[in-house]
Amino acid sequence: MLRAFSTSATGMMAQEMLVDTIANNLANVNTTGFKRSQIEFQDLLYAKLKEPGTEIAPGVNAPTGLEVGTGVRISSSLRVFSLGEFQNTQRNLDIAIRGNGFLQVLMPNGDLRYTRDGSLQVNANGQLVTQAGYQVEPAITIPADAATIDVATDGGVNVTDSKGVRSVVGTVQLARFVNPSGLASQGDNLYTPTDASGEPVVGTAGQEGFGEIQSGFLEKSNVNMVNELVNLITAQRAYEINSRAIRAGDEMLRNTSNLFR
Amino acid sequence: MTDIGAQVSASLNALTREFDIISHNLANVSTTGFKRRCNSFTQVLAEQAAAAEGAGDEESSPGVFDFSQGSLVPTERTLDFALHGKGFFVVESPEGPLYTRHGVFQTNRNGQIVDSAGRLVAGTAGPLIVPPDADVADLYGTDDGRIIAGEASIGQFRLVDFPDALDQLQAAGQNCFQAPKDVDPVPATDVVVKQGYQEASNVKLVDELVNMILVSRMYEANMKLVGVKKDSSSAALSVAMG
Repeated sequence: MLRAFSTSATGMMAQEMLVDTIANNLANVNTTGFKRSQIEFQDLLYAKLKEPGTEIAPGVNAPTGLEVGTGVRISSSLRVFSLGEFQNTQRNLDIAIRGNGFLQVLMPNGDLRYTRDGSLQVNANGQLVTQAGYQVEPAITIPADAATIDVATDGGVNVTDSKGVRSVVGTVQLARFVNPSGLASQGDNLYTPTDASGEPVVGTAGQEGFGEIQSGFLEKSNVNMVNELVNLITAQRAYEINSRAIRAGDEMLRNTSNLFR
Repeated sequence: MTDIGAQVSASLNALTREFDIISHNLANVSTTGFKRRCNSFTQVLAEQAAAAEGAGDEESSPGVFDFSQGSLVPTERTLDFALHGKGFFVVESPEGPLYTRHGVFQTNRNGQIVDSAGRLVAGTAGPLIVPPDADVADLYGTDDGRIIAGEASIGQFRLVDFPDALDQLQAAGQNCFQAPKDVDPVPATDVVVKQGYQEASNVKLVDELVNMILVSRMYEANMKLVGVKKDSSSAALSVAMG
């Protein structure tokens, strides 16, 4: 009986975590470049009460064993790096990556971080930075007399000065990972490489498997509202039913203790 | 008198174990590729049904697991694979091959396709490796389990089945099954691989809830019996003691 209590409790805890993840996905439905998380359930180890094939009488083997499971746990939450919808913003410094690749971002401490959020800005020193003010790597400086800036599909940043002269001031490079799902999320739309993701491979947009850069667009979150809401309802019901199993077990125990009245 | 006591406590123990199994099934209602454990109710019912059809031999009784198909849920993730039909994926573990229907795979840092515990997923010719210049999002999986990156095939899932020995599989936890040493898998023939789908758990909430109510009511009834025995014993005692 006590096993059933803890088994149902693992079910409730796992569903709780699923609801937490869905809530985070839903909260980020409007976050540029956000990738939804997916939760994976795994059954727990089994208590073997009887091995299959046990000899139950001379020459007679039990055809099946008897094992009782002990519940469920969350084995991992993995990010799904499918493409989000592209939204036309008509702003030249908004860039979206059409396919594989991350923008490289230089942190103040010199570490590199990776993002799919391409809403770029120019800071007071003329450097190309992310929305949070972190510098894009490799560093690109926009001259003070630039009238217009645009980004080509290969990441080349072109400026036109007030006299109408065009020049290339730098190239936005992309990085990709063998296993993007292994990246650690750091918040602020930034990812950190880990042992699981592998080392970043840096290259030019549109070549060697990298996606092309699309200027004037932002990649929206890849969260699908309807799917998340359906999952939320399922999780809520599953939670409820697991708690009902605890209540039923409690009733059975009460029956037992009533004997001693 | 003692006989009744022993019978009641045996059936109480069995009911408790059954309740454990039901709660385990309910806890795994969201576990991809999970196969529900049969408890003796469903076993007894199936045996009765088989007997009524005149086919009541041992082989028709269900084993420990109910290997019926779970429904396929689309996820649009290219490394999610669901099996439709009879068969298992094979993952390599230090203790030997494990068999699973939980086809939620990932790549490791070497580009090899692994399961969520990091164990290699077996292909027909060694591990499946995504080439470094291919994008995981562009992998294409065929119905027979081949994986294609761009133009080139990178391998085919090793899919196996246990047509005569499904009953002997044991659960190893982490969504995997283990086969006894003397049972060898055969290549699966009757299975389709669906990319971008997950096979949902085949636990049916209504059935489990009905069984749960049955178990708790039967438990209650058995307890009543114990109560009656207690009353009659104490009545007998009070007669004997005057």
